[in-house]
Amino acid sequence: MISVKNLSKHYGSLVAVDDLTLEVPKGELFCFLGPNGAGKTTTIKLMTGLLRPRTGTIRICDIDIVQDPVTAKLKMGYIPDMPYLYDRLTTTEFFRFTGEIYNLSHDLVEAQLEEQFNTFSLNDYRNVLVKDLSHGLRQRLVYAATFLHDPEVLFIDEPLVGLDPYTIRLIKDLLIERTRSGMTIFLTTHILALAEDVADRIGIIMKGKVVALGPLEQLTAEAGGKDLEEVFLKLTAEQYEQPERQPGRHEVTKSM
Amino acid sequence: MSITTGLLKKSWWRFRNTGRILREQSPFKVFFVTIFALGFEIGLYFLFLDGFRFIDQLGGAGRLILNHLFALFFMGMGAMLVMSGIVTGYSTIFRSDEIPFLMTHPFTVSRIVVYKYYRSAVYASWSFGFVVIPFVAAYAYFLELGPLFAVWTLLFSLPFLLLCAGVGSVIVLLLVRWSPTGRALKWLCAAIPLVVALLVWSLWQDAYDPDADVQFTLSKLIPGLRPATNKMVPSWWVATGILSLTRGDVLRGGMYWLLLASTTATLIMLVEWVGSATFVTSWRRVVGSVRRSRHAPVLFPFAERMLRGIGADVRAVALKDVRIFFRDPTQWSQALIFFGLLALYFANLRNFRYHALPDAWRNTITFLNVFSVSAVVCSLGSRFVYPQLSLEGQGFWVIGLSPVKMSRVVRAKFALAVIALLPISTALMLLSGAMLRADWPVRLLAVGLAACISLAVSGLSIGLGAIFLDLRSRNPAAIVSSFGGTLNLVLSLAFMLLTIVPFGLLFHVRINGLIGATGLARSVAVATTWTLALTAITTTLPLRLGARSLAQRDY
Repeated sequence: MISVKNLSKHYGSLVAVDDLTLEVPKGELFCFLGPNGAGKTTTIKLMTGLLRPRTGTIRICDIDIVQDPVTAKLKMGYIPDMPYLYDRLTTTEFFRFTGEIYNLSHDLVEAQLEEQFNTFSLNDYRNVLVKDLSHGLRQRLVYAATFLHDPEVLFIDEPLVGLDPYTIRLIKDLLIERTRSGMTIFLTTHILALAEDVADRIGIIMKGKVVALGPLEQLTAEAGGKDLEEVFLKLTAEQYEQPERQPGRHEVTKSM
Repeated sequence: MSITTGLLKKSWWRFRNTGRILREQSPFKVFFVTIFALGFEIGLYFLFLDGFRFIDQLGGAGRLILNHLFALFFMGMGAMLVMSGIVTGYSTIFRSDEIPFLMTHPFTVSRIVVYKYYRSAVYASWSFGFVVIPFVAAYAYFLELGPLFAVWTLLFSLPFLLLCAGVGSVIVLLLVRWSPTGRALKWLCAAIPLVVALLVWSLWQDAYDPDADVQFTLSKLIPGLRPATNKMVPSWWVATGILSLTRGDVLRGGMYWLLLASTTATLIMLVEWVGSATFVTSWRRVVGSVRRSRHAPVLFPFAERMLRGIGADVRAVALKDVRIFFRDPTQWSQALIFFGLLALYFANLRNFRYHALPDAWRNTITFLNVFSVSAVVCSLGSRFVYPQLSLEGQGFWVIGLSPVKMSRVVRAKFALAVIALLPISTALMLLSGAMLRADWPVRLLAVGLAACISLAVSGLSIGLGAIFLDLRSRNPAAIVSSFGGTLNLVLSLAFMLLTIVPFGLLFHVRINGLIGATGLARSVAVATTWTLALTAITTTLPLRLGARSLAQRDY
């Protein structure tokens, strides 16, 4: 479903993604972990076509996102950590608008409106403008609108930021249920417990390179940790180690 | 349902919901804004009508000017619309939060660009209606052109607006794609003042051409007359087409409309083509231009050294504002356009041969230039100074939690506004006086008034910005057009009139010989005292109230 080969992205001298190769099969929930600035969001932006890779290929449902972005986008959905919503639309207007940009039939959109608004408990907010919604309600609306066209592949950047326990539970259950029904989900998160709970496979990225890849059991066995937190800290410790400071040209070293 | 229908429907829903939001606003605010807009329109109508009457009194030359005035008006509006299109085009096409949303949905690049271009056209031209309605009404009334004139103006205005915004969008698309960066950009920035100086110098030289004939002098007197009457310029098609249709010449008028419409359609295709070819690369260049540099980015390194004498907290707030302002091209480019146009006008005063007019006229023009500078200061105060505090946005907690007193924050913002406005407004007035060779008392008066207005507008804008603080909005335009922003503009303009009109009346009675030298000196002293007192109150009172409002506020 998601096939990434030799992907790299540079920002000037900064290598954000370095020769990344990854396969995520149909129906898998893949969690992408890494310290801040490791390249998670850049990878997800490359996969969704927001950034152009320096080298490598990305295929979504066997469609090259660079060569044929529109067809690829019809098959996928993307939920960023701080999604953009039209503040001056009501929740139902935003939902219907999403249906129209995916060219869905009116009847399907209306049927989905009932179903998704029930699932995400948005019925009381049907005529409320998006600008008047809380962060949690906005996230619920984004999920409802993203599931509307039933994407085959779903990218989620930090799915649980700022959500209440009820919504967290709802989304976790939903992600598991959707992968069981064949949806492929690629998500990035800093919440290791979420990865432990829902992921089929986990990838850990550091300085643009994948340093670990596999199911939780395999990672703990290979890295020698008792849980994902230990594995993560062990593998990414290098990122947080301060390099020994060398005396610079302007620094004076005290002579003993 | 198609994607285009979806986008159109979305725009309609947003427009309808804006009405809903307006209905939720305070009726007093809606009433106040409506009355102000109506007053503005009626005032402009009478101003234009008076202008036409004045020109008509000039006789043959006046009639000639009136005949060309319509073309001149549309050319001027066109130039402003293109500039506005460039500024709004950049923010709408490249800096909009909506772009990542559209890019991750199944839209083709050309569709995104064309959709954003239409939005940019709407943003760039909404104020066009405010100026064109009173102008057209006054012109039609004065020349007895009949009500159909308004219909034809509307018919021609729509493609004309799209055309101008399209030119702006194409320029933006090309500029962003191929604008230099790094060292090349620094060289370009250094070269711009040199080119402007050379341009001004060449115009200055041109002003002393002894072979100028009468027609040449007329076109010199009315800047832009020649290009405005050039038959290859679209604004000429608009003016001629409207007048032809009004006079019943349907074929000629229709031909000009078709010419304009087909040119606009071609330009839209060009926008689509250039957008398809460049947008993705340019947009990624804009949003993904994070580069690791060995050197920390430094803006105005001397500013930090210069401000060492003041408190660290105030210095930090001031430097932050300066950095944010100069790192946002949509902010500084608009300020540059405002003052750049005025500087160009003042530098060209000798080209118009105003300096050769009698003393009374030269002094009057100098004094009238105080109006133009003051109006620009009021606009800048409303556009850039007023939203300063609100634009702190969600980041205001950083200042709110810090041990900085709100009164010091307000004072820092005020000082920064004064540092920005005062030197430019007074320098422009000095330039105007020098170019017109005005008498020294008039020059000093003009500079003094510009200084007072800069101080008062800064105080008023910062003070009201603190009182009507809106931390939720990230859009400066939305903050500016809010109730507080409108009130600030109205009060700034009212202050401008209250300070300038007394001196204007004195000029009037002096020119007409209604007052002697002693009486004039006394009256000037009274008017000066009035202006100084009003400036002191208008500067300090809003600042005090603003600081108090910030201190008592919940964050």
